[in-house]
Formats: sequence, structure tokens, C-alpha cells
Amino acid sequence: MDVNKSLKILIVDDFATMRKVIRNLLKQGGFENVVEAEDGVAALKILQSQKVDFVISDWNMPNMSGLELLKAVRGSDELKELPFLMVTAEALKDNVVAAVKAGVSNYIVKPFTAEVLTEKIEKIVKSMAA
Amino acid sequence: MDYGELRREIDAIASSFLFLEKKEIEIPLAGQFLNQLEDVTKHADALEAGETKRLSGALSQLLEKVVLEGVNAEKGYGLFERGIVLLQSVGDGYCNAGRYDGSIDGYLGELAAAIGLAPAAEEKAASEPPPTAQTTPEAAPARDESLLRDFITEGLEYIGEIEMNILNLEQEPENKDYINAIFRPFHSVKGVASFLNLDAIRTLAHDLETLLDRARNGILAVTPELIDLILDGSDTLKAMIGQLRDELEGREAGEPIDTSDLVRRIKLAETGAEQPKQPKKLGSILVEEGVINEQELEVALERSQEPPARKLGETLISEGLASPKDVSRALRKQAQQVTDSNTIRVDIKKLDDLIDMMGELVITQSMIRQSETLQNLGDRKLVRDISQLASITSELQRSSTVLRMIPIKQTFQRMSRLVRDLSKNGGKQINVVTVGEDTEIDRNMVDEIYNPLVHMIRNAVDHGMESPEDRIKAGKPEKGTIKLKAFHRGGNIVIEISDDGRGLNREKIRQKAIKNGLISASDTLTDLEVNRLILLPGFSTAEKITDVSGRGVGMDVVKQAVEKLRGKMDIQSAEGKGTAFVTSFPLTMAIIDGMIVKVGNERYILPTVAIRQLIRPDRTAYNCIVGEAETINVMGRLLPLVRLHDLFEIEPVHRNPWEATLVVMEGEKRSKCLLVDEILGKEEVVIKNLGESLKRVKGVSGGAILGDGNVGLILDPEGLFEMAETN
Repeated sequence: MDVNKSLKILIVDDFATMRKVIRNLLKQGGFENVVEAEDGVAALKILQSQKVDFVISDWNMPNMSGLELLKAVRGSDELKELPFLMVTAEALKDNVVAAVKAGVSNYIVKPFTAEVLTEKIEKIVKSMAA
Repeated sequence: MDYGELRREIDAIASSFLFLEKKEIEIPLAGQFLNQLEDVTKHADALEAGETKRLSGALSQLLEKVVLEGVNAEKGYGLFERGIVLLQSVGDGYCNAGRYDGSIDGYLGELAAAIGLAPAAEEKAASEPPPTAQTTPEAAPARDESLLRDFITEGLEYIGEIEMNILNLEQEPENKDYINAIFRPFHSVKGVASFLNLDAIRTLAHDLETLLDRARNGILAVTPELIDLILDGSDTLKAMIGQLRDELEGREAGEPIDTSDLVRRIKLAETGAEQPKQPKKLGSILVEEGVINEQELEVALERSQEPPARKLGETLISEGLASPKDVSRALRKQAQQVTDSNTIRVDIKKLDDLIDMMGELVITQSMIRQSETLQNLGDRKLVRDISQLASITSELQRSSTVLRMIPIKQTFQRMSRLVRDLSKNGGKQINVVTVGEDTEIDRNMVDEIYNPLVHMIRNAVDHGMESPEDRIKAGKPEKGTIKLKAFHRGGNIVIEISDDGRGLNREKIRQKAIKNGLISASDTLTDLEVNRLILLPGFSTAEKITDVSGRGVGMDVVKQAVEKLRGKMDIQSAEGKGTAFVTSFPLTMAIIDGMIVKVGNERYILPTVAIRQLIRPDRTAYNCIVGEAETINVMGRLLPLVRLHDLFEIEPVHRNPWEATLVVMEGEKRSKCLLVDEILGKEEVVIKNLGESLKRVKGVSGGAILGDGNVGLILDPEGLFEMAETN
């Protein structure tokens, strides 16, 4: 089963270059329907105003961190099923476990390749469909 | 909650597990299990179901390992399956008999061995990035130029924010938000650098991030040293990104920057603070003494948080984990740490009062000593005792003035930071060297001297220091140096701000002074005199007005500010070699060095700093033009004569300048001769203000009690000049 490549992906990161990096990697994996937000607050606004199929969020951001965004998403009736991939710098136990407990779909450690990213996305989408 | 409900919670986990399609615990489910197991652990603890609690805790750890890919997924699945079954039977045991008769130790041992996790080592499970993190070269967008460009621009901007936030952090070292705001740029730079294969940048950013993480977690204290290190780190990072830019734009990028020294300092800082300065907690003292172990401490800590909240010590005693004697001994030890310091904090107001009273005491004892009645008594013992009293009081006064003294270090640190900020804006590279940071100055002076010093720093950075290109052209090192130096000389603190910049261009200064009519073209001036021209009002040699200095506010403002504090300033400069501003300030504003003068029966105190000369002029030096002011020719300069007796309406002894004594005094921008009857001597006096009602009396800045007990008024030269000019 192939994953629908037209799914709309929201990239959340305060560092514009990082968003561009992820966008490029997604493109390599065939995902081109991408929107961006610079922090959790902006991300929530987008999520409330348009239909997004997948979220890739950084962990450490000003205003609203990735974890807070995740909690807000999982706490919302409309969004609680949304696939949510957390980007972290290291597999730091405390961070990862906190994200897992808060209901993250999966996490990915920087730096990653287009293959790993695509693999993670496909895995999440497939298990959601199952 | 009872054993039955606990059993049902366990069953809920087991049944979710049973319905798994694949033999793999995926992350969302792991999250669910972790939350469920957390509840089970908590409830088991409350019900004192010991085995349930230990087992569910161990299963949580297993899941964490699985999530972190620290254990093979299939193996993790198998272990979890067996653990859940065991947990169910433990739950059964408690449910049916209130206890579990079997043993869980076998399974726990196997689990610990399998996931490489001794229960005590659990804290250190911050694992290295898993193998998936390896970047394969062909997949990484290596040397993607547009990405690199974005990274350079955004990275520099982000690192720039660090410097702004660091000032906040300095004021509130405990504020986690500020630490995080500094942490984040390093973190972001590191993240992108890792994608772009910029290893050197990534490594340094990572080290700095680790350092800050430790500060954020309270392992490291935010000290000025740490802040300096962070700033040095961000500077280096900026330089590295700058090199990247040069490289990208095809310019000579220079040698790769050597970060080994910085990295060594970072590592040192990380380990150096393994012993936090904060007093140890009661619990850790008890653990150290071997009274309790860490697990017991953890349990007791949790328990003492539950209502009714109790102190840790009470909990430990009531649980029978520690004897009252152990706890009280540990408490004593803790208290010792707090008081085990050689300094105390005192309200500055109290010190001010003390020093004020000291002044009074000195004056009073001096009055007693000079009392004629006493002299006439001829009692030798009394005279001896009183002179003993005098020496004790003066010793006391010395030691009490010292109380309010603090090192100039803090001021220097603020100034170093300022240089960093300014040089960044001006595109200059400047090192700051400080000498004599421990030199002490009156606390009350610190704030006063700051502004003039800031202006001098601005001047040095903006006008004194050349751009890196110009420096290279002049054969100097690219990076300039500004030196801040402090030392004591006499009763003054001398502060030197020197740079190794371009120095003053004396010819340019001369030309400008001639143009502005300050000097005439035929005047021959010494180098020092030319230097001093820039201290005159409205003088500025900078060709363009910048953000930093310029804007028409010249060094004259600085000079006035320095003089207002009864300080002096001078400029030394060698063209091409640099400029030094040398300022000296009195150590304290509480005492003034004064010249006592007499007019009629009155005595006045003139601040010595304002006095240039004392003269008794020739009759020929006196000029009086009818309807105009009287003047005195002082070595070729005609200075206006100010008669103090006229200003204060006193009957003088002498009216003729050639019979009286003239004091040449310097005010703002001009000098005048002050006519007095005679000079009585020089004395250090304690300044007393005259109170609210007399605050605005012109020409008088305060009062002082003289050695003989009489009051003398301290005169303000500038005020006197203004009085003379309006009359």
C-alpha cells in the first residue's frame, strides 16, 4: 500500500532555514503539499483554519513549544487524531518520553535523511489507517 | 481505589496488548501504556502493593527503552508480554490474598540484564543518537548554496539575539526563560548545521548548548564567568559562520578557526561546577552520611508532598527511616553551610548612616581636643587619653569608609559588554583587557561615574578604533584592544580607558580649533594642550555622525560630568598608536579636600580640585575699565576678578587685589580670580548638606564643621561665577 503523496504537511520550526531543509527533504520523498508555521501558536492557527493531514514539529520553539503544541492538538476534539511527528536534536530520554506520553505519533532525530523521514511518515500514516 | 480496581487497570493494559496485530509496540501505544503504567505505579504505591509497584515501574522503564530504540523491538515485545502476564498474577495475588506469594525478582533481574539497566543507573539513560541519525553523504543536501545562504543570514541573526538576552540573564540569573532564549539559537544552529554537514559549527554549538542545558537544569550556576564563556562561544560561532560566508562569496576565508581552547574552557566549566554552590539539601546530606539510600529518599520525598504535607525530616522519622538524632545532625550540617560564608549583606542605608555618624564623631572629638579649657587644665593624663581617643576615632573612620567600598569589577564588566555590543554594530573587532578589577571605590560613586565612562568607551570604539581593514593596512593586528585599568593614587581612583587605535590627529584638531575660533593660527600649543582641545564644548572631529557617538555631544560633556564628581580627566595620545583617557575620581563623595579661606570674619572652604593657582598680583596686573568688569592679568591671560566680599556682603580686610590673595579658580568653560583676605590652610572635611530649605542657595554647595568646631560653608565655583556674571 502506498501512502498518498498529496497529503498536506505542516512544518513547525522557528528557524526558517530548518523549515526549508525539511521541505527539501519532503520534496525528495515526493511530498510537495507543505505549509509552514514558525511556532506552536502560528501552527494552531493554521490547524484551526485549514485541513492539515500531518504535522512535523520541532521540539524547542519560543512562545509555544512542540510539546505544548502536541498537547493542544491531542486535547482538541477535531485534531486529536492528527499524525504528529516530533523532531528532536538528540534522543534525550526525558524529552522523548514526555512526547510519547503526550501522544506523539513518532519522533525523528536530527539530522535525518529523506529516506528516514519518508519511512517515518509512511509508517505513521499506515498504522493510523490500520 | 482498592486491589480490585488496581487489578482492572492492569487488565486494561493487558487487553490492549492482546489485540496488537504486529509483534511490535508502536510509539502511540507505548505512550498509552506509559500513562497507564504510571497510574498503576501510583495506585500500587498508595495501596502499599510493593511488588505491583516495582514491576509496573520496571515495565515503564522497558517501554522507555523500546521507545528510545535502546532495545530490539521484538525482544522488547517479548519481555513486555511476559511482564504483563506477571503483573496480572501479582495483581491477582493482592486482589485475592492481599499479598503476592511468588517472586518477581527473577523476571526483574532478567529485564535489568536485557535492557542493560541497573535500577540505579536509570537516571543516565540519555542515550546517544540511534543509528538512524547517521547522515549518508548523498542524501544530505550538502553544499546546497541557497540553504547555506539562508543558514548564514538566519544563523547570524539568531546568534545576535543571544547577546541581547544575555543582559537580561545577567540581571536575573535564575530566570529559566532567559536561559532558554539563549539556548534556542545554539540549538537551532546546531540542528541546521548537522543537515548541512558543517561539523565544526555543529560541534561547537552542541557544546555550548550542553553547557546551557546544565545551567537550565540548575546543575551549573549562571556566573559572570559562564556568561563570558557563552559570549565568547557565540562570537566564535559568528566568526565561523562569517568564514563560511566569505568562502561562499569566493573571498579568502582564512585559516579555520581554532576552537580547541574554547572547547577546553567549556568542558572545564561543565565539570568545574559539579559542586554547586547552593547549600546541599537535607536529603542528600542524609544519603551522603549513609543514613538512608536514594530510593528511600525518593519515596520519602514523594510521601512528604502528599497531604497533609510534612517536612522531609518528619516523614523520615515517622517512617522509621532515620532517627531524630540523624535528622537533627543533618539539619545542623545544612545550617552550617548557609552561614559558612565570610560575608554578610547589609542595607546600604545603614552603612550610610554609620559613615555619617562617624563623620560627626571625628568632628566632635576634634572639637574637644582643641578646646581651650581643656588645654588650660594641664592634666597630662587627660591630654594623653584624649589623644588616644583621637587616634582611635580616626582609625574607626578609616575602617568605616572602607565598608562602603566595592571593587570596580562590576563596572568594568558592564563596560566590556558595551564594547562587545558597540564593536558589533560598528563592524569592528575589539578585545577588552581589564587591569585592576579589584580596585575599590565607594558604592555611591559607582553609578555616578558610569555615564562619563560609557561616553569615553563609545568614543574609543567609534572614533579611536579603526575598522579591521584599516588596521591591517596600518600593519596592526586585525583585532584592536581596549584596555580598562584602575588603580589608587592618593585619595583618588584612577581609571584609564586606552585603545590601540588611530590616535588623535593633532593637525586636524588644530585646524578645527582655528576654524571654530578656539585658538589662533599663530598659537603654539604643546601636544597635551592640543589633546585637551577636544574637551572644549562643541568639538567633534568625527567626519560622520554615527549611532554611537557624535551627534554634536562632545567630550566637553564628559569633562563636565567628571568635574561635577570632583574628578579630573586628561588625554594622552600618540598618532597611529592609540589614545588613553585618564580620569581620576575621589574615592568617596563624603569627604572633600578643601582650601580654607578667610574673608572678614567668615571662613569658607574652596574645593581644591577647582583651584589652579594662588597669586598676589602686581599692582600693574590689575585693570579696571569703567562700566566693565575688573580683570587681572595672570601670565598673559586676562581673567575677571570676583570679589567674594561683594557677593556675600561682608566687610573685608583688604580691597586691593595687590594686598589681598587671589585664588584662580576654574569653572565650566572659564576661569576667574576670586579675591579673599587670606588662606588659612588645607583640610579634608566631611561634607554636610544644608538641608532642604538652604538647598538652593547659590554659590554654596554644602557645609562642613572645621577642626576648631566652627562651621564653614563649602563654595561652588560655578555658582559663584554665575552670581558674579548676573550682578
